[in-house]
Amino acid sequence: MNVLIVEDDRALARELALYLQHERYLCDFARTGREASEKLYVNEYDFVLLDLGLPDQDGLQLLAQARQERNQQASIIILSARGSVDDRINGLKLGADDYLPKPYSLMELESRMQAITRRKHGVQQDTLQFGPFTLNLSDRTLRHNQDLVSLTRKEFDLLHYLLLHRGRVLTRLQLSEHIWGNMISDSDDHDSNFIDVHVKNIRKKMAPHDAHDWIETVRGVGYRIKLDTEA
Amino acid sequence: MAGVLLLALPWAIEVFALRHTEARLRNELKQVRHRIEQVGVSSFLQTQEQDQRLHYDLLQDEYIDLRRGRLAEAGPDTLATLPRRRQGELVDFRVLRSSFVHEGQPYTLEIGKSMASVEDVYGLLRGFAAYALLFAVLTTLLIELSVISYLLRPFGQIVARLRAVQGPTPPPLPPLRTGTSDFQYLDATIQQMLQKIRTVFEQEREFIANASHELLTPISILQNRFENMLQAEILPEDAETQLVFSQKTLHRLTATLRTLLLISRIENEQFARPDRVNVRELLTDVLEELEDRILDLDLTATLTLDGEPVMQPANRTLLFTLFFNLISNAIKYNHRGGSIHITGTASAGQALGYTLSIRNTGKVIAPEKLPHLFERFRRFADDRAVEGYGLGLAVVRSVAQFHAIHIDATSSEADGTTFTLQLPTIPAQEVLKAPTA
Repeated sequence: MNVLIVEDDRALARELALYLQHERYLCDFARTGREASEKLYVNEYDFVLLDLGLPDQDGLQLLAQARQERNQQASIIILSARGSVDDRINGLKLGADDYLPKPYSLMELESRMQAITRRKHGVQQDTLQFGPFTLNLSDRTLRHNQDLVSLTRKEFDLLHYLLLHRGRVLTRLQLSEHIWGNMISDSDDHDSNFIDVHVKNIRKKMAPHDAHDWIETVRGVGYRIKLDTEA
Repeated sequence: MAGVLLLALPWAIEVFALRHTEARLRNELKQVRHRIEQVGVSSFLQTQEQDQRLHYDLLQDEYIDLRRGRLAEAGPDTLATLPRRRQGELVDFRVLRSSFVHEGQPYTLEIGKSMASVEDVYGLLRGFAAYALLFAVLTTLLIELSVISYLLRPFGQIVARLRAVQGPTPPPLPPLRTGTSDFQYLDATIQQMLQKIRTVFEQEREFIANASHELLTPISILQNRFENMLQAEILPEDAETQLVFSQKTLHRLTATLRTLLLISRIENEQFARPDRVNVRELLTDVLEELEDRILDLDLTATLTLDGEPVMQPANRTLLFTLFFNLISNAIKYNHRGGSIHITGTASAGQALGYTLSIRNTGKVIAPEKLPHLFERFRRFADDRAVEGYGLGLAVVRSVAQFHAIHIDATSSEADGTTFTLQLPTIPAQEVLKAPTA
């Protein structure tokens, strides 16, 4: 998939590209609004990651312009450090597919990109399978074969996020940011430590159904879903 | 001035009327004397009895009396108010008496004018004067009022301009058209101050935008780099742990910065109030969001609201943050198995207003700390167990002020800690008219 990274800060663009290339995205760069509109005119992209604070142009202008482009089918995600109140509303109104305030987690960005892709191509994958368990996204339930495993909203979100990035280690902070967003404004450890409570509860609920511990604790870092032994 | 005039006037008129009468009497006396010189005394001389006097007018208000002989007490001309008989009754007359010698004979001449007639003149004058005075007072009043209102017109315009000011950034106005230098000065000063406030607000807005961009961009780089490094999975376990720790520190920095920017943005009026918020639904959402934490501590949470309080205009996201912070505090500072009670009642005796209280068991906040609870970075030294009173309540205060919510905190051993909010809700009738958004 082709991604155009519109970002005037080289270091930030490089980190972003590093992650995305690792995930097999092809990255192109534009550092100014002008450069971006030229590339948008010539090339076809699947994603445009748009910083609003460009040196020569307001990112929102570029967004409006890109939406006028007939051949451009790219999904646009705004990545903004401006954090202005109207940016999000105006951005979505002008046709952006999503909005992430800086600093954002790269994993969060990737999961948003995946969600957009699924939505766009109609492959609305309703269920995620792992071992004998099925996570149903439309009715937000977890089932072991036919038995319902009751989860709270946050537990469901947490398990879902771990499954989206299956095989990879997620830190408590990444998990906490995903399920709480920016709600937790207090700068304390309470919230990321609470992830342990969630994981403990999920394990407790899954244990009676399956002896295998699907959530692996990576000491000092975080958690990951253990891959199937067969897979 | 008018008052003094009003008091002095009757007296002045009385004196004037009397003087006027006396002047006439003297004048008449002079004429009579002149006539006596010309035609002799006999035609004037009284033949009748003592008390009969010659009246020369129909109503007998005036008389002339000439007698032979000098009155014992008479000196030169004397003026006095004396009783005189008129048609059988005694009436007060103003009398001018004069003695003179004519052809070797002494005579006494008396000219009188009845006091009743003097008082008639007096009354007439008084009536006239009263009307004149009334007229003068009214005219003065009208003139004064119109002059004052004309003079103060620029002042009214200044007040009207101030009334028209909405929000911190009013548009600049042309200088006021007035010749009065004081008003010009006042207007110019107010305009200057408004401009200064406007500039300060714009500077702050600019600063917030710059701070956001300049600080959050490097933080983004760091955060993404940490993520990439962790992703690589080639690091020794020890380094990974260090990295996770750094990530946490960075997160703390981000959270603090975000919160400070949020508070500044609220205080800089950068948020709109476009929503109609059903308080019950909002609180239910917040409780659901915090469900796991409540369960984890075995807390009992109750929500008891009278009616359906609705706030409009409001900002739902900000109000969510307000209640989230309050309730999450009520959880954090609670003890295992404790409780949180959220109760709401329509404020008594008022058509508007709703009292909402959030009460929790747990650690008591000392009375001397209560007033500082909502200050930025106020954290209590002995609260080692749970950190983070820091900015959460400062945000609560900003959002509350933004919505004109009055908020108060009390804490005691018996009742626990209670936050009481006075919500400016809209009347129930209006809620029924329009569906909640």
